[in-house]
Amino acid sequence: MPGVTMSFSNMSCSRCGDGFDPHDKIVNSQGELWHPQCFVCSQCFRPFPDGLFYEFEGRKYCEHDFQVLFAPCCGKCGEFVIGRVIKAMSASWHPACFCCAVCNKELADRGFVRNRNRALCHECNAADKAVLSGRHICFKCHGVIDDKPLRFRGEVYHGYHFNCTACGVELNSDARELKHRSGYTANEMNELYCLRCHDKMGIPICGACRRPIEERVVTALGKHWHVEHFVCAKCEKPFLGHRHYERKGLAYCETHYHQLFGNLCFVCNQVIGGDVFTALNKAWCVHHFACSFCDQKMTQKTKFYECDLKPACKKCYEKFPSEFRRRLRKAYDNTPKKSTSA
Amino acid sequence: MENGPVSCLPTTPKMSKAKKVIEEALENQNPELDLADKGVVSFEEMPGLIDMHNITRITLSHNKIQKVPPGIANLTQLEMLNLFNNHIEELPVSLSSMPKLRILNVGMNRLDSLPRGFGAFAVLEVLDLTYNNLSETSLPGNFFMLETLRALYLGDNDFETIPPEIGQLKNLQILVLRENDLIDIPKEIGYLPRLRELHIQANRLTVLPPELGNLDLFGNKSVLRMDFNPWVAPIADQLQVGVSHVIDYIRSETYRYLHNRHIAARGPPPPKLNDKTRKISRNRQYS
Repeated sequence: MPGVTMSFSNMSCSRCGDGFDPHDKIVNSQGELWHPQCFVCSQCFRPFPDGLFYEFEGRKYCEHDFQVLFAPCCGKCGEFVIGRVIKAMSASWHPACFCCAVCNKELADRGFVRNRNRALCHECNAADKAVLSGRHICFKCHGVIDDKPLRFRGEVYHGYHFNCTACGVELNSDARELKHRSGYTANEMNELYCLRCHDKMGIPICGACRRPIEERVVTALGKHWHVEHFVCAKCEKPFLGHRHYERKGLAYCETHYHQLFGNLCFVCNQVIGGDVFTALNKAWCVHHFACSFCDQKMTQKTKFYECDLKPACKKCYEKFPSEFRRRLRKAYDNTPKKSTSA
Repeated sequence: MENGPVSCLPTTPKMSKAKKVIEEALENQNPELDLADKGVVSFEEMPGLIDMHNITRITLSHNKIQKVPPGIANLTQLEMLNLFNNHIEELPVSLSSMPKLRILNVGMNRLDSLPRGFGAFAVLEVLDLTYNNLSETSLPGNFFMLETLRALYLGDNDFETIPPEIGQLKNLQILVLRENDLIDIPKEIGYLPRLRELHIQANRLTVLPPELGNLDLFGNKSVLRMDFNPWVAPIADQLQVGVSHVIDYIRSETYRYLHNRHIAARGPPPPKLNDKTRKISRNRQYS
């Protein structure tokens, strides 16, 4: 007790330096003593709520003032960061707030890469770099695809992650994705086949782009075509179901066919736009299909004779001298029967 | 003219038919005249015709016209003139000055010559001289100046040769030389770039110029008619199988050699085979 009394007279308040009255309450914190009215926040001079204080450079602060004065604000949510502070990208962050700018994964324990002023995880950074350099990132392994990617159900992959649905061989970028039920836009049903198996399945291949045709197939010129790839050989516009004209293995739209090879009317020598009469190695427009000898109009049904590959109506033929008709008959009998005669 | 329908010419029912057609055409402003088989003997039966300046086509086939008046050239809009099967012995010089005439048919008449300067047509495209009495000597000097010509019908005439100048007809697509007396055809025919119909049947031809192989007479748009000629055996043999075999053959080196030898050691031409005495074109009044 004397010790207590002894020390009691030697004791002074850490703040005001005055001694203590024996009846005074004394606050003891970590071996230092205060009058209760002196044990206050260095900033607001008010007692610490619930006795909780923060100490910084020998001074004590209430929670509020300590945070106002010294606590870091999170770069993302703007709240004070209490506890673990992540210092990165010249700011402070809650661990939960410091995430990959692309995939939103927490970066605190994974490490990050600064990429165009964004924090990215290593995977996203690699993908970003690959996209920038024109390369694809495999949707499965996230690795860069060095050669051509295999496209499957809307994503790109390394071919070697897959095997042919039919023969099981490991695939490469040549593999073909097959829509099993054409017309379904959803592609979850799609399957992958190696080129060999795909060809064996008889999927039509477009004569223009050499790719399989999964939608509407146009069959013309002995080949199959994507609707949009079956085009005029001259203007390259797709026919889209409009009439096309074939010549020497090429297809043309009406305009360009006539422009290039149009049937010229034997009489007016003009391109025949509408209906064409074709006979005797010649063509006529509707206005000029007539007997070459009397200019009488003829129709598709008119019977005519042939003389030097010109049409002669029955009336004219009968007016020919008989010796001439005899010669015509003799020539006709001698020709293989393909030329026209009534 | 004031007298209207009254005429001092003898009126026959046929003649009035022709007149009726002309009057109708005048009334309806119809630019095309169909006067085939109307018994017309002379243009004089059709007064007014020469004054129909807007007319574009006249068809006078199967009549008995002997003379075409020079005044026809006043029909400057005329594009088609069909005089097939008449008794025409001579054509007027003025004909070739018609600026728009594109199609001229004087087939089955009695022509043994063509007028001076006949090659002067500006736009003639189809010329039909079939079944007349024409030969290489009846062609005027400028005949092959007809550069716009795309069809030339000379069948049933008396040609023994065709002048090499035929090579000038660069637009020619159809050439008919059927039933003449041709001994030869010129190699220049092989250089007509657009030729797609060649009729040389019933002549006195023994060989073809190898240059004919240049022509695209293969396609389904092309015709070569060559029957009834005294062909040398190799050509005759190929012809038995088909015209396309002949074309293949004359394109060969073998044929080129044979042709040269044949030309070098050529004997007299084969005799004329066609009997023309019955041709109605021979019924000339003044021959």
